Amino acid sequence: MSALSLTAHFVRREVRNRYLGSISGGAWALLQPLIQLGVYGFVFVYVFHSPVPGANAPGFVPFLVMGLWPWNAFAEAVTRSTTAIQDNAALIGKVALPRELLVLSTVVASFLIQILGFCAICVALRLFGIPIHLVALPVALLGYAQLFVFALGCGLMLAALQVFVRDLAPALPQMLMLWMFASPVFYERSALPERYQGWLDWNPFTYYPEFFRSILLQSGAQTMVAHVVSFLVAMLVLAMGLAVFRRLEPFFEDFL
Amino acid sequence: MNDTALVETRHLGKSYPLVFRSRDRLRALGQLLAGRRQVNSVPVLEDVSLQVRRGESLGLIGENGAGKSTLLKLLTGVLTPTTGSVRVSGRVAALLELGAGFHPEYSGRENIALSAALHGLSATQIREKADAIIGFADIGRYIDEPVKHYSSGMVVRLGFAIVTALEPELLITDEVLAVGDESFQKKCVRWIEDYLGGGGTLILVSHSMYHVQKLCQKACWLRSGRVERHGDVFEVTQAYLAYLERKSNKAETARGIAEARSMLEFHLLDLTLNGESSDTLVVAQGSTLRVRTRVHSRDGRVPIVVFGVVRGDGTPVYGVSTEMDGRAPLRESETVYVAELTFPELPLLPGAYVIKAHPLDPEGVRLFDTIECNLLIRGESRELGLVRLPHVWSQSVPLAAARRAADTGHG
Repeated sequence: MSALSLTAHFVRREVRNRYLGSISGGAWALLQPLIQLGVYGFVFVYVFHSPVPGANAPGFVPFLVMGLWPWNAFAEAVTRSTTAIQDNAALIGKVALPRELLVLSTVVASFLIQILGFCAICVALRLFGIPIHLVALPVALLGYAQLFVFALGCGLMLAALQVFVRDLAPALPQMLMLWMFASPVFYERSALPERYQGWLDWNPFTYYPEFFRSILLQSGAQTMVAHVVSFLVAMLVLAMGLAVFRRLEPFFEDFL
Repeated sequence: MNDTALVETRHLGKSYPLVFRSRDRLRALGQLLAGRRQVNSVPVLEDVSLQVRRGESLGLIGENGAGKSTLLKLLTGVLTPTTGSVRVSGRVAALLELGAGFHPEYSGRENIALSAALHGLSATQIREKADAIIGFADIGRYIDEPVKHYSSGMVVRLGFAIVTALEPELLITDEVLAVGDESFQKKCVRWIEDYLGGGGTLILVSHSMYHVQKLCQKACWLRSGRVERHGDVFEVTQAYLAYLERKSNKAETARGIAEARSMLEFHLLDLTLNGESSDTLVVAQGSTLRVRTRVHSRDGRVPIVVFGVVRGDGTPVYGVSTEMDGRAPLRESETVYVAELTFPELPLLPGAYVIKAHPLDPEGVRLFDTIECNLLIRGESRELGLVRLPHVWSQSVPLAAARRAADTGHG
């Protein structure tokens, strides 16, 4: 009960921290991905002349939305939680609290903001007449829930390792950039040469853009195996993250 | 009675890892991930076994770096012990260092909510207590300012105010009283006294022997990470002060000790025997002894002065206080009192004795200080024991007369 109210406190603090002192406040949460969407849309459609994905897809922008928002949620959650323990060193050194909560609340805050933005943009696109299956939005939230589990596992592991090896946080953005381009965020699986298409299955993030596209845009179909495997992977990553975190947690204070 | 121990540590030890280069950190990480608990480290606390029962108050004293704060962090669970074990039961509130857990960008009001949540209060409980906390902290409009604009005194006020509202079973504080101003210190001390009176348990780290003696029944002196002495507060604090005296150089010490002692509510300025203030006085058996001491009273209150006589081996012979005889020391100046006691025809038998003087608070509850002087009694007496008791022989004749009578009887 108290862990819950404590998490709520940290989430509120986390959300407020991000926009504290910025004039537009929460508006940034929506504005930033919109700008990102505009830039990417322009670059890929007008500069690179990207082939319009799948014949039955409704255009590049909604296609990009289905990949970019989940990626942003994931990347932001992982980046921020990597330094969650380090940033709260002062607190950890003075108050005994369940430290997982610091990572948990960071991930929760990132997902809350990104999911809100995602829902808003889906509704907006629908109003512009793009055929998005808003009825499937609750199912999409299930996809976010699973992505949340995956991100939390990564975040816990990285946050614990970051206490010991400070190189992680600066290296992470580059790694994430690579990972993003290795995932079907800007392109579709079919855009790859045939013999490389199977490789995407080894990337645990591949599932998510494909999931949102299949249920909200009804472009592409996923097999039952993909659902089950990606669910198991998310759970496994969380279990591993928790194991590493628990193993290292008693020594945080010594190395912070 | 073990079930009433709120805090129990057994052979508790803490080592900090030695990490100079990032390679060391990487190696330590590998070792920890592999499940090894011991990495290359330096011990800061070793083999500390303590027990604090419900209703007890313990003062932790010692020099900087002796491991006091580390011990507190182990007790509150912020640190994980390297060796041994810690068991703490009950609702604990800890005030470690300044502004424990405050966020500098947030207002005092918001920090109250966060702190209370950290201590496990629910949102409704927090709302109920916020007014009481703000009232106790008494920092006026600053309560709505970001904490980064606070003076250190205000931060402590707020921190302590939060603790008062948590109604802890065990209160752990680290040198926080030293920061507040006089009036707030008094308020805190009064609150802690009430809290202790109501059955609360306290663990206090302080460099102020005055606060330790005022608030704690027991004290534990940590020296280089080990328990040097543990027991009654006056015994331990005096041993600690004596240690400080021995440790530093003469001139500096005199000042340090004088300072440390002057923190006491009462301390002795001197002790003279027959007007002399040397270490040892030699007098003939049956002569007159005048014992005189001067007491410094910090708050100007009238102390009780106790004089005692013990034999060289520590056997008590006699002790008396001004209050027992219905007297009070004479006021010499605003903060100095003097008392003199005369033993006409001192009935001590020849031997080595120690004269002691102590000041007590006016209530006669607390003993604050001790000065000792050696007293050597010279004499040819063959009597046994410590003192000559007044006596009269009856049913007897003078020995010489008896001898003479015996001689003539036989002759």
